[in-house]
Amino acid sequence: MDNKTITITKDDLATAIRALLPAYNVYAPAGEGERLAFAALDESRLGAINLTGSPVIPPKELLFPRSESLYTLDPETGAATVPEIAESTLIFGVRPCDLRGIENLDAAFLEKGYVDSNYAKRRENTTIIALACVTSPYETCFCESMGGDPLAAKGADVLLTETKAGDAFTAAFQTPKGLQVKLLWDSLAMDCGSAPAMTEGSKPAMTEGSKPAMTGQHNTLRVTKPDDLPQRLMAAFDDPHWAVLSEACLGCGTCSYVCPTCYCFDIDRESGAKEITEYRCWDCCMFSDYSRMAGGHNPRPTKKERLRNRYLHKLAYFDERYGMTLCVGCGRCIAKCPASLDITEVIEWGGGAL
Amino acid sequence: MNYTEKTKLIQTRAAALLEAGEVSYVLGWGATRFADKTRARFARSPEEAATLVYNEHCTQSLAKYLVDDRWPETRIAILARGCESRAINRMIRDNQIRRENLLILGLPCEGTDAERCRSCRAHDPVVYDELLWEPNSTGAAAAAELSRYYRADAVDALSAAEKKAYWDDVYARCIRCYACRNACPVCSCRECFVDMHRTGFQGKRHSATDNQTFGVTRAFHVGDRCIECGECERACPMGLPILAQTQKILKEIEALAGDYEQGLDAAQDNYLGAFDLDDKDDFM
Repeated sequence: MDNKTITITKDDLATAIRALLPAYNVYAPAGEGERLAFAALDESRLGAINLTGSPVIPPKELLFPRSESLYTLDPETGAATVPEIAESTLIFGVRPCDLRGIENLDAAFLEKGYVDSNYAKRRENTTIIALACVTSPYETCFCESMGGDPLAAKGADVLLTETKAGDAFTAAFQTPKGLQVKLLWDSLAMDCGSAPAMTEGSKPAMTEGSKPAMTGQHNTLRVTKPDDLPQRLMAAFDDPHWAVLSEACLGCGTCSYVCPTCYCFDIDRESGAKEITEYRCWDCCMFSDYSRMAGGHNPRPTKKERLRNRYLHKLAYFDERYGMTLCVGCGRCIAKCPASLDITEVIEWGGGAL
Repeated sequence: MNYTEKTKLIQTRAAALLEAGEVSYVLGWGATRFADKTRARFARSPEEAATLVYNEHCTQSLAKYLVDDRWPETRIAILARGCESRAINRMIRDNQIRRENLLILGLPCEGTDAERCRSCRAHDPVVYDELLWEPNSTGAAAAAELSRYYRADAVDALSAAEKKAYWDDVYARCIRCYACRNACPVCSCRECFVDMHRTGFQGKRHSATDNQTFGVTRAFHVGDRCIECGECERACPMGLPILAQTQKILKEIEALAGDYEQGLDAAQDNYLGAFDLDDKDDFM
């Protein structure tokens, strides 16, 4: 695309994001500590932007919501209403691993002959500004071991990288959608340039050409991943070690719901007197009702089968179908598992000796 | 005695029990690749007993794992601090496990990294077969840093409108992962109501109404049996103040009925689950 990058000082970040608000529904990490989440921004929330960490709930929820109404019916008339999907959304501050997660979702929802129309529309309407990880946000980050590059996000529309001095971001514009953002920021720079008397909050936003920080403190967690991991794990389907791997599992949905690539959903209905809503919501293969069939039979009766299925989907089945692993090494499941299970142990076990 | 010495005692006793075939496994904690995380370990041989660890990062209460193995052929040895022991009592009362299936290795506890330990009133185990080291000199009900109902008190101090805003915020952040339920030693329904299909009264949807239906129903179902271990909060990936709910129920029961604490022995009734034809109210 356009080789020209621009530099945004950290002081001017709010100004830069303010310039996007008229054109997009902007979401960015905001809040402190456990409240850090991708939040809808408006003028009043600009001060809450927090790019120091990575939210527990990944940005996948903006493309694949926790819950969405598919249609509503009026029980009297039978008339159906299909909810509108927002135009022009922009997600600011997506980490490279989470972008790879979105690329996994693209494969699941858009490839192999079936296009999920709600996902497709959201994806089409969404511009992504990625943020290179100069420092790893979690102690449990291991993206590099999963083939990721914490400093690159090829598929992002814009890539921000903190400069060496640490007081600014360099923005690289990588797609036509990214150039739309550049247009907004260019005009901002021009406006500001011709108005030197502006207040501190809206002082000139951009200078061109600072060098990005090209080295960072990358993952401390290094995982040895066998090249033929999918084949090895599938060959180990009946290995007794799955029982050992799963014995501490509590069977909750934390790992799936904090995962940037888990995309299972359920469809259900809420029938009210005035309105019937058909909705879909996140679901999780660690739950007993996920695999329960009509009549009550459950082909994955215990946590051993459920955990094996989840890890095999991440590390083998998805690879077999789409040619990419479904674990991007974001480290959230390890950081948040209430029983301290660790997917890297499964990767390193690799089905045991062949 | 420091943690290294305590770990050694645990390993030695566990190895002896496994060597003698007295127990099928010893349920304790093991190390992970992260220095600040431990994980439940099921030691099945003297060699595995040598991998058990004990330190301030043993934040998880182990009792819930007992329901994964309700009918063991040989007894299970479980390392039990105050929280595990109270859970065991309550789980026995709830007919989830049997005392004769357990060999309880009591561990007088000094608290862990987990916040809930700061309000603990039962550092020493209340039921055990043997203690691995001397009880705390302060006794079982050591003075806690936080008051018993510290979360509920904080919410009680809010106005009605503030309370609504508080809980609306909590349930907007709930992701319905059910970690609280699965970690809870008294959540023991064979099939949880939220796993039932199309009941009509609760949905799988992540909405304010459905999230609150889950949270409030669970709180009422476990509230009068809550042993105050705080596993629900420790497990919650979103850091939600789940203990506030059961603390509130316990606080109200105490106001109505006087001293009320669960899990102190295995014969205790639970206030909302017990009935008496001589009930002081006339609806009986």
